[in-house]
Amino acid sequence: MKLQHYLGGLEGLGPVEFERRVFVEPWETRIFGIHVAMMGLSNHISTLPQTPSTFKSEWTWADLRKGAESLNPFDYFKFRYYEKWLGGISGFFVDNGYITPEELARETDAILKGSATSAAGGDPTIDDRIEEYLVVGDSPKQPVAVTHRFAVGDSVVVRNVPAAEHTRLPGFLRDKVGVIETVYDGAYAYFCTTGDGIGPAMAVYCVRFDPKDIWGEMAEPGFSVHADLFDAYLESPLAAAA
Amino acid sequence: MTERFHYPTDREKLSAARAKALEKLLIEKGVITEMTVDKVLGFFETRMGPFNGAKLVARAWVDPAFKARLAKDTPAAIAELDFPDGMAGAEGEHMRAAINEPGVHNLIICTLCSCYPWPVLGLPPYWYKDPSFRSRAAREPRKVLAEFGLDLPSTTEIKVWDSSAQIRWFVVPERPAGTDHLTEEQLAALVTPEAMMGVAVANAA
Repeated sequence: MKLQHYLGGLEGLGPVEFERRVFVEPWETRIFGIHVAMMGLSNHISTLPQTPSTFKSEWTWADLRKGAESLNPFDYFKFRYYEKWLGGISGFFVDNGYITPEELARETDAILKGSATSAAGGDPTIDDRIEEYLVVGDSPKQPVAVTHRFAVGDSVVVRNVPAAEHTRLPGFLRDKVGVIETVYDGAYAYFCTTGDGIGPAMAVYCVRFDPKDIWGEMAEPGFSVHADLFDAYLESPLAAAA
Repeated sequence: MTERFHYPTDREKLSAARAKALEKLLIEKGVITEMTVDKVLGFFETRMGPFNGAKLVARAWVDPAFKARLAKDTPAAIAELDFPDGMAGAEGEHMRAAINEPGVHNLIICTLCSCYPWPVLGLPPYWYKDPSFRSRAAREPRKVLAEFGLDLPSTTEIKVWDSSAQIRWFVVPERPAGTDHLTEEQLAALVTPEAMMGVAVANAA
């Protein structure tokens, strides 16, 4: 059970930070660019052209999220958003043999001492592919038939699925009753098989919840919560009660 | 345990050096090119950013039929307008507009991470990624909005949308009063990323 899966509704985190900037330090832009490049070059996308890039791995949002979700929860709060990216992504390149820890340390040290040199070059088709990825995206929608178990207006119960390494089920919705607001057309995969039910193509629904059913009678009045939930996370009230 | 709560005194300098070192090594080893990161950043400066969303909202304001189409089938409506290529690209493959109207105010959150509609709004600001926003907006949105300076009457229903699957949500704020005389371009200038995620209303004329 990971705290990172249960952030929605967590109390005691104090006032919101009103920072409007996307990046608060110049270095953050670099790790953002690297993440986008990795997604664009990922081996799971067969519809983009091959390039001479030496990146041969799969890298998706799921990989970035898994890195953040696997952190000690204290570290999750300690490290700023892009600090978590930097840790996760540099760790990935080390773990998958692209760079060694010694190389990274040596290079970092040289930069700190002001004695580093810069690298140059690279095949432009690598950047063409990354741009194409940004333009065409990577839709999870699959050309497979889907049976919708639920219709708009149906009551559903959110399954308390087994805890897994990664999830797209906001923890505060487990076991809660909601109403189907939208039945999304088609079937949607997820980047990886999470171990808690999602991965293969399935229906997705927008479900509306009454805050009283989530937070109790003292819930703030006058709002509703909606979440887009994969079919595997939902059950009919009758089946749930059985 | 207490070590965990210490930051190095040169925290940013170390991160900057590490990021630079990583980028250099990745170029050296042929993973990316010397241009890769700058080109990605340029894409979000010039092609995918809040300027697209502002243009979309301004059109919705002047054309109620378009606004209705935007609500019903967001990607199709967006495709009607003249935008750069990529409006259904990365983090925009399945966008959905939530329309504010009298008595209904929409708020977009991502309690699990930071899902954000890149083609219409570019990259998310830090407030959207803040754990306090992500946690509290699901529980006490009216109070959170008040902290942002937006006091909504108790008669307004706040609809909170948690982006937990493929949909990338954004808000079409209400058109401010006293703007009948403005051109579409002038209207677009009133639309902020905050208004398009629901923590603000559009600016007054």
